[in-house]
Amino acid sequence: MKIDLVVDARFKSCPGPLLALAEAVSKAKPGQKVKLLATDPATPSDVREWASSVGHRVLEVKEADGVYEIYVEVSG
Amino acid sequence: MVKVLLAKISIIVASDKLDKLYPAITLAGTAAVSGWEAELFFTFWGLLALRKGYEPSEVSLDYQEYGGKLAEAFASGSLPSWKNIIAQGKATGKLKVYACSTTLELLGLDEKVLETFVDGVVGAASFLGKAKSANVTLFIS
Repeated sequence: MKIDLVVDARFKSCPGPLLALAEAVSKAKPGQKVKLLATDPATPSDVREWASSVGHRVLEVKEADGVYEIYVEVSG
Repeated sequence: MVKVLLAKISIIVASDKLDKLYPAITLAGTAAVSGWEAELFFTFWGLLALRKGYEPSEVSLDYQEYGGKLAEAFASGSLPSWKNIIAQGKATGKLKVYACSTTLELLGLDEKVLETFVDGVVGAASFLGKAKSANVTLFIS
């Protein structure tokens, strides 16, 4: 998967990761893919809820050693 | 195509303490970036937090033993500053901040002392008019 942008929100607590992602996505172009790195375990469900509200697509969520990688495709 | 979502949250904030301001602006800021309309109405001691240059640093009296933990969270950057959350919410155009007119008068404050992110000084009826269409309403004190 080609990633256009990486947002590193590791060690940030809610609402840090979501706000960092929302900020990045607001400046991204439709169709671009953003990878969010986070350690707050609330982040995957928060991102899914946010994405369904604003219309972006969560492509994949991975977790390794306590770090979540969340891939989001920016909608048009 | 971004989905239009007609959701709205209205929160009355009645304290200027960290532990009261954060839940309010976390919800309002998150709502705003999620496409919700979000309104914050600052009344009584909440109004003190709208003065220019105010940075919340104290926790409520009952929980001061945890003040150090919060200070650590801010120093490490794990919690965003409250001004940044408000700025990000305002940047969406969805977050509105109102100051209570009666409190302004009670505390002898001039509107000029309020932060520029304040959208207006309003009374109870005006806030009710805005809040009546909200799906979520909270009073945080």
